[in-house]
Amino acid sequence: MLGGGNDTEEQKETEEQQSETEMKEEGTETTEVKEEKTETAEKTEPEAKAEEPVKKEPVEEEKEDTQKTQEITKEKSESEEKTKESEKKPEVEEKPKTKRSDSMTLLEGREEDTLTRDNIDENFKQEVMDAGAETLALCFQCGTCTGACPSGRRTPYRIRQIVRKSVMGLKEQVISDDTLWMCTTCYECQERCPRGIKIVDIVKIARNYAAKAGYMGKAHKMVGSFVLKTGHAVPINPATQDLRKAVGLDELPPTTHSFPGALEEVQKITKSTGFDGLIGYNWEKGELE
Amino acid sequence: MADQEFAYFLGCIMNNRYPGIEKSTRILFDKLGVGLKDMEGASCCPAPGVFGSFDRTTWASIAARNITIAEDQGNDIMTECNGCFGSLYETNHMLNEDEEMKEKINKVLAEVGREFKGEIKVRHFAEILYNDVGMDKLAEAVTKPLNLNVAVHYGCHFLKPSSEIDIDDPIKPTILDELVELTGAKSINYKDKMMCCGAGGGLRSRDLDVTADFTKEKLTNMREAGVDAIVNVCPFCHLQFDVGQVETNDKFGTDFEIPVFHLAQLFGLAMGLGGDELTLDAHQVCTDSAMEKCWDFSELDEITGGE
Repeated sequence: MLGGGNDTEEQKETEEQQSETEMKEEGTETTEVKEEKTETAEKTEPEAKAEEPVKKEPVEEEKEDTQKTQEITKEKSESEEKTKESEKKPEVEEKPKTKRSDSMTLLEGREEDTLTRDNIDENFKQEVMDAGAETLALCFQCGTCTGACPSGRRTPYRIRQIVRKSVMGLKEQVISDDTLWMCTTCYECQERCPRGIKIVDIVKIARNYAAKAGYMGKAHKMVGSFVLKTGHAVPINPATQDLRKAVGLDELPPTTHSFPGALEEVQKITKSTGFDGLIGYNWEKGELE
Repeated sequence: MADQEFAYFLGCIMNNRYPGIEKSTRILFDKLGVGLKDMEGASCCPAPGVFGSFDRTTWASIAARNITIAEDQGNDIMTECNGCFGSLYETNHMLNEDEEMKEKINKVLAEVGREFKGEIKVRHFAEILYNDVGMDKLAEAVTKPLNLNVAVHYGCHFLKPSSEIDIDDPIKPTILDELVELTGAKSINYKDKMMCCGAGGGLRSRDLDVTADFTKEKLTNMREAGVDAIVNVCPFCHLQFDVGQVETNDKFGTDFEIPVFHLAQLFGLAMGLGGDELTLDAHQVCTDSAMEKCWDFSELDEITGGE
């Protein structure tokens, strides 16, 4: 990774992933990194199977040890593994420590994340700025935004990283990342930003690009289609019509629900801006493609 | 005061799901002598999470079309939904500031024979009560004071972005607490009070699990503070605390049952309106516990009034 992206790396690694990577890396300490990577795919299945019972073991050393045995001598039978486990126990405590300090295990296996010029879209930063978030370039990556973010507390969404990647022009990474849609636009980040950056605008503009590139949720398209069909994201239903009548309100509110001409105006606007095509709305069928 | 009139923007969720909020508002404003003129043919604001996120131009065009209806009336807009307020206020602000964008949007609007002129303001219900009607006059509308401990939920788009909206301090506001306490109810402080309900930004439709996790945290903090009800100023937050509370219970095996009221409904109660007029039956979370308690002062010390 180039600078600034560390927080995802740290936080994306859920407990599960973390223990898995650690185990793998310790086990294959003698093999070259590249080899380990290519092997990973093949290994995954047998490993996963073998790991299951082991994972439940409460004793830390045993876990690591079993893992190790699997990696090095896969062909050996279970009974042999168990005897080895008990024999090896005394060594275990020393060995992993040496390995860790030697090989920076946390950074291993990340070569595929290396960025090159090919990842950078030179225009993206300027496009985001032109689209209304001209404050983007002011970011000095303090991370206050991520610290304030209620979504980041429970999802892998890292707003600081989205801002950084936008500055760097990593367009594809920004727009293809599902977590971009975990923002509730609550503005907590923006209110606290010491640089006064319009962070929520950046998110929305990035989402506009994501939508254009086809990264749209089906449910979101559906909400869009309701507006095209009725003028409302949450249209009236018979139960509410009854309720309205019961309290002496007009059964249909004086909105596009009561004025077909007004609905036509809204529909015309969505045709003019191409929103219908963006969400794949079929006017003849009156639904999404 | 009496000759003041607003263009009443209904939006979607209030009028199409919780009409008691609309009913109560109409009665309250009638009582206060403030006119509400229907915006005939208004549409969805449109939803900032989907339209703003998908295509800014479409979002601003539909919002600007709604604004032109009020411009034709010559009235400022009043909305009692934070989402609608966000979309309409931001669009109004953006088009007034950004000549290029205004030109672009007006080109779209010209196709339906409309033009955004930038002649009106977009206002929020709660802020109109506080600033225009005023606390003294509003207090006169309260005929049946309430005995309730409530968790005030501000929501996000009522005060933020504060650099553009500037109604109250976005981190430590008091405007809603003051309005709520005017009804006799007590605003109880709770942990992370300013946190989002979890529904906005399109998250509710995109990932209900994450949204419910937000809501669970809010509900946990509210319950720990020992509140009788939640009061909000946004039908979408309202829906999230109501429908979302049931979803949260389903997903996490929790047993939350905190009644939810929009501020307009709370004032409805304080004006003596019944549950039927406030369409409380339409709520997913039963409001009986709050209804039984709100006019029952028997537990309070008669001398100190419970303080």
